[in-house]
Amino acid sequence: MNTLVMVMAGGASEDLSVLTAVRAEPAIPFGGKFRIIDFPLSNCVNSDLFNVALLTQYMPRSLNDHVGVGKPWDLDRSVGGVRLFQPYLGPGQSGWQRGTADAVRYNLDFMEEQRVDTVLILAGDHIYKMDYRPMLNFHQQMRADATLAVRRVSPFETHRFGIVSVDGERRVTGFKEKPRRSRETLASMGIYVFRAEALKEILADQTLNDFGRDVLPAILHTHKVGAYTFEGYWADVGTLQAYWESNMALLAETPALDLYDSQWIIHTRSEEQPPVQIGPNAWVGGNLLSNGCIIEGVVERSVLSPGVRVAAGAAVRDSVIMNDTVIEANAKVERAIIDKEVQIGEGAEICYGVDNVPNRHFPERLNTGLSVVGKRARIPAGVRIGHNAIINPGVDESHFNADFVPSGEMV
Amino acid sequence: MQTLAVLMAGGAGTRLTVLSDKRSKPAVPFAGKYRIIDFTLSNCVNSGIYDVAVLTQYRPHSLNTHIGIGKPWDLDRQRGGVHLRQPYQGSSADLDWYRGTADAVYRNLDFIQEKNPDLVLILSGDHIYKMDYRPMLTYHREKGADLTVGVMEVPLEETDRFGIMTVNRNMRITEFHEKPKERDKGTLASMGIYIFDTDILVQRLSEGRPESPRIDFGKDVIPSMIAQDKVYAYPFEGYWVDVGTIQSFWETNLALSGADDGNTLKLHDPDWVIHTRSEERPPVKLGPQAQVINSLISNGCVIRGRVENSVLSPGVYVSPGAVVRDSVLINDTWIGPGAIIDRAIIDENVVIGAGTKLGYGEDMTPNQAMPDRLNTGITVVGSGAHIPGGLTIGRNVLINCDRLESDFPGAEIPSGETV
Repeated sequence: MNTLVMVMAGGASEDLSVLTAVRAEPAIPFGGKFRIIDFPLSNCVNSDLFNVALLTQYMPRSLNDHVGVGKPWDLDRSVGGVRLFQPYLGPGQSGWQRGTADAVRYNLDFMEEQRVDTVLILAGDHIYKMDYRPMLNFHQQMRADATLAVRRVSPFETHRFGIVSVDGERRVTGFKEKPRRSRETLASMGIYVFRAEALKEILADQTLNDFGRDVLPAILHTHKVGAYTFEGYWADVGTLQAYWESNMALLAETPALDLYDSQWIIHTRSEEQPPVQIGPNAWVGGNLLSNGCIIEGVVERSVLSPGVRVAAGAAVRDSVIMNDTVIEANAKVERAIIDKEVQIGEGAEICYGVDNVPNRHFPERLNTGLSVVGKRARIPAGVRIGHNAIINPGVDESHFNADFVPSGEMV
Repeated sequence: MQTLAVLMAGGAGTRLTVLSDKRSKPAVPFAGKYRIIDFTLSNCVNSGIYDVAVLTQYRPHSLNTHIGIGKPWDLDRQRGGVHLRQPYQGSSADLDWYRGTADAVYRNLDFIQEKNPDLVLILSGDHIYKMDYRPMLTYHREKGADLTVGVMEVPLEETDRFGIMTVNRNMRITEFHEKPKERDKGTLASMGIYIFDTDILVQRLSEGRPESPRIDFGKDVIPSMIAQDKVYAYPFEGYWVDVGTIQSFWETNLALSGADDGNTLKLHDPDWVIHTRSEERPPVKLGPQAQVINSLISNGCVIRGRVENSVLSPGVYVSPGAVVRDSVLINDTWIGPGAIIDRAIIDENVVIGAGTKLGYGEDMTPNQAMPDRLNTGITVVGSGAHIPGGLTIGRNVLINCDRLESDFPGAEIPSGETV
């Protein structure tokens, strides 16, 4: 079996607000030093799959820098390796890619060049550890045209997923994309194995643009589609709340996602940074701290990416703080997601007060009390910011009219 | 101007006791995730010198694995790059091992001549410092020197540890005394950093005779050159430490854990990054019970106990209820629940059983087997040792590599013992 992996890394993921305003979702830092894409990429190489194509479209630069020639994953190879694909112009191809299936269709010529018989399609924005080999075996033994990975979800969550029904032979007999109510609870994980020939034939129908929405319902009765059940940790971190929760889950005594597993290492591109320095008056309990952090203040129940500095007298609690952000003296940060290179001025407070007014502009995205601060924003000294607030990337003193930003506001 | 750097990395570092039992001194871990040689190698590439030879002899495996093809330092290059040179057999004259620093360079003269650089920069692989070599190279050229020696002022009471020199007004060296017993030779000490014109180096090293050997730079080569060649001193001001003893290794590490008072080595310096080969490890995990102050903690550590004034290398595990104080813990060491570690250096893959007290009591009896090396209250544990639970171990104790639980005689090991 000769397998090509295609990772979907082009979606805009607007639900992640300011985090995806500056980069594609797969490039968002996660778990301190990692990025979301590290999980599927590491799964590939840990499953001995070394031929990987990353399909990008939305804000790919951060992702390009991170993946590079694939060295951290040993994907800098002369046979196979990792390739980053961008949308391109050509005869008959003039628009942007309109969905996951359309993106694959754009690159079918590459698939044929590679002489592969199997194509594994992955989402670039899920956090999980999975050996793909048993699924590929299942696909082969079943002689399926397509196989999708499924997992059980709670009946209350079925509206977020594509829900499948299967028969006794693990063959998919029904598929509903995000049903409002469903008796079935087997959800598709957005992981598909296709027989290369079948994929080519299916994508010849130009009206099929998305795997979940269009392709699966269309091929159920014309092709043999199997369902492979995966049991294990899997998280779609496509919303701010889910992203924050999955980070916080890493702080548990025995987390569902074990980053310390020497048999399944998650590889990433690491900057060269010195060890974490913890000062004489620091208080640090229940955290994940990355290289290059300098902690002089209080940090509790938080996940810090490399190079974060917390000055004396400052306090950080229940927050996710990304690379090189500086929290100055006596500032207070609680329940916040703070992007890279942000400066929180002296005595500033994030998540001040108790009122939980949902965000005025995006009430459906930000209503659980979290506040988010975009990349390179500068919060002036003494400013207090409430809950469910959005501070856009790059704002500085001039954007703050008062020294209080009430809950639910946006700057 | 082409420069070839030659790093001396063959020394046994015997004063570091068990730390250099299984590896040469430059390969000893330092400041958490680094190794001693990272500082010199990073100085080279940060100074724009990409042609580096590393001369090894004593236990080179750890060093070979660490340096590899030089990728972390961008020394995996088509032209130049890093070369690891081992001793080899050649004509009858080369049957012996290297007898000293100059001898090691002499045996690699063919390599140096093949490279044909204008200057050869000779460095020691076991010092901790950050130095841009470019000003020194410029100085060497401006003085029209044959040999330039990097020097720095040291306290008068330490002059017997260094090569001490006397200079004239133009910084030309007029006298050189290797480790003088009397304290009347001044305080200008050699840092073991030499720049030679290649031709002079080749000529002087080839002149060795049994009655006037050319085995060691400090003992033989420099004293013999002062009279006939232009030998200058280049003064360096900045942080520079020879971590050759257990005490200085421990002190220098612990200085990094404290607050930056301006006198210590600054590791967080984006303009002078110290590169190292990093294993892929997750971030530091601090449990809810963890208390950590004044410490340097590397990737992959999991801390559930208390850590004070200590330096932890990657992958160290500190169990709940354990206390680690004023100590240096090297990779993947496991500290059991309730164990108390005080003033210790613990090498990699050591297991300390539950409730064991290591570095206990007020008794400062020097180590009986090596009183000159272990006398300041530091207890040292060699790599791979398994120390059983419930033990009380005193100070200045030496536990050798790979000791098993059955090697420990009783529940108490008094100060000064060796296991």
